[in-house]
Formats: sequence, C-alpha cells, structure tokens
Amino acid sequence: MSQTDSGIGSGGLVGIALAAMVVVLVATPEMAIAQSGTERADSQIPDLVGVWDGGGRARPVNGPNMPWTPENFPVLNERALAYQAVFDEALAPKYDCVPSASPALQYDPYFMEVVQWPDRVMFRYEKDDQLRTVWLDGRTATPLDYTIQGFSVGRYEEGALLVETTHFVFDITGFDDYNGIPSSQLKKVSERYWREGEELRMTLTLEDPMFLRQPASYTTRWLPAPEGYKLQGYACDPDLARRAIKFMIPKYR
Amino acid sequence: MRFFLWILSLCGVLGVGLLMPGAPVNAHHASEPFYDATKSVEAVGVVTRFVFRNPHSFLYVDTASVDGKTTSWEIEMGAAVSMSRRGWTPETILAGDQIRVVGAPSKAPGTFGMCCAELTRPNGSPITP
Repeated sequence: MSQTDSGIGSGGLVGIALAAMVVVLVATPEMAIAQSGTERADSQIPDLVGVWDGGGRARPVNGPNMPWTPENFPVLNERALAYQAVFDEALAPKYDCVPSASPALQYDPYFMEVVQWPDRVMFRYEKDDQLRTVWLDGRTATPLDYTIQGFSVGRYEEGALLVETTHFVFDITGFDDYNGIPSSQLKKVSERYWREGEELRMTLTLEDPMFLRQPASYTTRWLPAPEGYKLQGYACDPDLARRAIKFMIPKYR
Repeated sequence: MRFFLWILSLCGVLGVGLLMPGAPVNAHHASEPFYDATKSVEAVGVVTRFVFRNPHSFLYVDTASVDGKTTSWEIEMGAAVSMSRRGWTPETILAGDQIRVVGAPSKAPGTFGMCCAELTRPNGSPITP
C-alpha cells in the first residue's frame, strides 16, 4: 500500500509525530499507568487511583481488638511478652507526634490518597501527613533506607498490587496504637490491594521474627471519598498530643 | 413544664453518657488508660477556650462552686481533621458560651479531665455543627 493509498503523506507523518509528542507532554499519571499497562497487560493493573475513606463508614474503627481480634491476634514470643509487661502507655511516641506506621497506619480511621505512576505507587495518608512510595522499577533498598515507614517495592499480579515493605526502624509501639507491642528491623509487611466494584480492598500480612512466633494478617476495605474531597493537613500539635498524659495513673513513679 | 423538659433532657444526657462505652477518642489512643468509663461526671459552666487541632481537640470549661471556687475542666475531643468532615469548625463553640458537659472523668486523682462527652447548651439542645 502506498502512502497515497493510506491517505498519509510526509506532512501527515510529521503531524502524527507532533501529536504524539503533545500526548507525551500532557500525559497524566492515569494515562501513564494506562500506557504502562499496555506493556504489562492492562488486566493486570487495578485502578487504585483516588481518595479513599478508611473511617467508620468503611469498617469498624480501630481499638485494642480491632483489626487484631482474638481470632487473628499474633502469637507473641517471650521477648514481646516481656516488652508488653513493662510497657508504659505514657512513653508511647505518638504522644510526641511520632507518626503511626505499618501495620497500624493502614487501619487508622482516616482518608488516604493513591496515585499510580509507571514506576511507583504513592500512598498519602491524612493521618500524621504520611507518604509511602512503593517502587515498581526494580530498585532495592540500601542500608540508608531504614525509616519509620520502611522501604516498599511492589508489582502487579492478577489484577492486584502486591507490596512488600522492609527496612523499618525499631519502634517501641510498632505493632499498633493499643497493645504495647514493639516491632523490630526484621519487620516485614506484605500488602495486597485490589478492587471489588467501588471498594478498595487490602489484605496485610505482618512478619517480625524478633517478636512474633508466626505471621499474622488482617483484611480491610476503603470506600470512595466524597466527590471532590481533598486530603487535609494533619499538623500534629505536640502540646495537645501529650495533654491527656496527666490524666493517667502513672505505671512508674 | 419548662423545668420538666430540663429534667427530661438532663436524664437523656446522663443516660447517653452512662451508656457510652470506653471508646477511643477518635482512634489516636484508647480512652481506658486516661478516663474511667464506668463513671460519669457533669460540668456546667463557661467555655474559656476551644482548641480545634490534631491529634485531639480540647475544650476548656470553667465551673464555679457555691463557695465561689473555680474548677477548670479539660474535655478531650476528636481529631480536628475528622470533626471537620462532620461540619465542626473552630467557631462551633466559642469562648464565653454557656455549656453543660457530661462524660467519663479522668483517672488521676486531683485532675479534672473528661472524655467521650455529650455537650449541651442551656436550653438542653445538643451542641452539633
């Protein structure tokens, strides 16, 4: 078939090239993930983009028995039990505005925003103004990557996003906000995110051989945030965070 | 009749207060280490400050006893980020407002803290955004 037959002359080819450049220049993250999806097979990549409501409308609010109920509460080893026995609630870092971390952060009853890029997925949490980046480009952690939120890598598989996070710093309340259980540098958090209709769902599995005898997991969901909702700043106030401490009967005098 | 309505509203408020479980104050921390959910106290007085912030808002209320002694109460409330989604603003309660507060008292002796409280105006209407 000649160029004339196809209806595309040399000027037409230049036009197509220019149009392609414009598309690349104005591409949004959503378009980028769609393009990347063509390479990886679109059906593998769930659409997780959006602002999600993790509050009481979506699931029971967290507490000493939620999401870790008697059925899925982890089996603690002697080290964890000893830490728990001496733990003093007043010393919990959250009373100094230290942010919540995995696996508690995901279940805090606040909103979060997910943005998917070809090389990363970004989870922004309204609680404590936290941002987690899940790298999809094959990079690996270095010894400099130990942080309170750890280092996350991910991949798409069978319509789900799989995330593995390691390189957490030691955290005296790294398990949750309620049970006085620490987590160590050996903590590993695996998350699987997928869509069910309008809902975002996740199963989280926690391993930490320093404190847990075996992995433990919970499953939860988020609902779409109201149309147009934008995450608010949290700006934890250290004076107010610590204000209620004086209302406790101290464990140690 | 008006007095009867006042008593009725007070009973309602107390009933709600006594039935309230030891729920966390908006999930930053459990209320149990700080407040005794098996008890209920009442404070009727004047708002001196309403601090609408995270991780917990606080309401400050001064009450006066018959001998003229002032007690300053600190009422722990939810996170501003969550309360604002329900319509609360820093102006929902203002300094100088007359208020009745019924909630779980703080545990440490000699302190005047309260949480998980029901707030009402002098006419018995609940304070809502």
